[in-house]
Amino acid sequence: MRKFAAGITLAVVIVVLSIPAVRAQTKPSSEAPKAPATFDPHDLSGVWFDDHPRPITVMQRYWAYKFTEGEPPMTAWGQTQYAAAKPSFGPHAFPLAETNDPVYHTCIPLGFPRIFLYPLPFQIVQTRGEVILLFEYDSHRHQIFTDGRAHDTSLGPLWMGDAIGHWEGDTLVADTVNFNDKTWLDRIGHPHSQQLHVIEHIRRVDHDHLENEITIDDPKAYTRPWTGRIVFALKPKWTLAEEFCEDISSFDSIEKQEVTPAK
Amino acid sequence: MRIVWAGFRFALACTLAFVFVPRSSAQTKPASKTAATASAAAPGSSFDPHDLTGVWFDDRPRPVTTNERYWIFKFNAEEPPMTEWGLAQYKATKSSFGDRAYPLAETNDPLYHTCTPPGLPRAYLHPFPIQIVQTPGEVIVLFEYDSVRHQIFTDGRKHDETLGPLWMGDAIGHWDGDTLVADTVNFNDKTWLDRIGHPHSDQLHVVERIRRKDRDHLVNDITIEDPKAYAKPWTAHLEFLLRPKWSLAEQFCEDEESFQSMDKDAAAGK
Repeated sequence: MRKFAAGITLAVVIVVLSIPAVRAQTKPSSEAPKAPATFDPHDLSGVWFDDHPRPITVMQRYWAYKFTEGEPPMTAWGQTQYAAAKPSFGPHAFPLAETNDPVYHTCIPLGFPRIFLYPLPFQIVQTRGEVILLFEYDSHRHQIFTDGRAHDTSLGPLWMGDAIGHWEGDTLVADTVNFNDKTWLDRIGHPHSQQLHVIEHIRRVDHDHLENEITIDDPKAYTRPWTGRIVFALKPKWTLAEEFCEDISSFDSIEKQEVTPAK
Repeated sequence: MRIVWAGFRFALACTLAFVFVPRSSAQTKPASKTAATASAAAPGSSFDPHDLTGVWFDDRPRPVTTNERYWIFKFNAEEPPMTEWGLAQYKATKSSFGDRAYPLAETNDPLYHTCTPPGLPRAYLHPFPIQIVQTPGEVIVLFEYDSVRHQIFTDGRKHDETLGPLWMGDAIGHWDGDTLVADTVNFNDKTWLDRIGHPHSDQLHVVERIRRKDRDHLVNDITIEDPKAYAKPWTAHLEFLLRPKWSLAEQFCEDEESFQSMDKDAAAGK
């Protein structure tokens, strides 16, 4: 985990992350079709962080721990799983020592799309055949192959899934399957099964903002597909730091950062 | 193995001709002036020496018997020049490799029971491929092993003393001709330098000289400097082969079982 002093606020963390960066931002590509003057919509590269106001009180703001304000349409199986979850967030929060959040005591990978709910930035890097999301949190990677390949059913079950994508106009559509069922969908214990199918519609709504509409399709856990929407702001002066989940104290520190109001 | 690969050279060349069509995006090339100058100095070359992107895997014969081939678990065949402190640390380690290998249940390898990050440069010794991606200000080495990354900032920044101690270190780099020189400091002392237990302290300073020897081969000359653990700096030489049809898979260290299967795979040459 990052070695900041205990009790430091997230606001301070953000300042520290911003200090040394002199990072040149990616210029629009000359081949961009119908590009607005200021950015290439097919260039998603850069460091992004969710565009919610900080500081926050995580126990009160749904977007810190789940994707939609309303409840997703759970099946009976899904309801049972959810009722058994003891998260450390939200309206039925348990103390850290009592939570059964699968990542808290063993630092297993967060899984997808839960990774988007963590209060740490991610960086998008693009190659000819890939759009790669590098998450600061525990060095996770969401590698979306855009080279035309199909899903590889010989893979998995995987923690972060098997992701392929294609461009529909200015929107990157990423399709991710082959998940294991060991992770929660969000931070308060909404469930998913191995049938989880995640469809992301990712686009730059303007130069500084990235939108990800995430559709969750999992017939075992949910009666119908449902969609969450997250907006991220470009952080041109930020760079990713090293953050490894080591033990429960990592989470303790992250939560303190989130819940401590700015002075 | 080289000879075998030579037979595939034509097929590789055909594939590579496709893979290395220059991108129109500015992302492909480092933004520095030295990079532009050096690129111009290699006319007619079939590859851009400042483009290190692609999936690479070490260029050693497979299958191997892990306990017999040093390069699976350490950087050099001979012993590095350890200080008294370094030697004491080394003697206390119980590696599962080499001529003094312990059974997995008895090893005190820091990775085996808790899956802590491998650290740098040890990450290079695990039998998994790496992928290099580049942005205008970074060369990023993505390791398949445990999803760790080695992010080398080439935008002119200095080391950040407020960072660390870190598992993978604080890496900055610059181009020296066609060689990327990466300088990494701010390490913690919780990792082994290799898989057999050679030590390092938090004074570890790693200098990598990374270059494409030719289109298909990447060379990394790694200098280890750590005055607490070693009497003088010493150097290792790694070579990687381009794998144009490979892509990284998901690999997370979970527990001891991951290592048992990994060691079996390595022994079987997978």
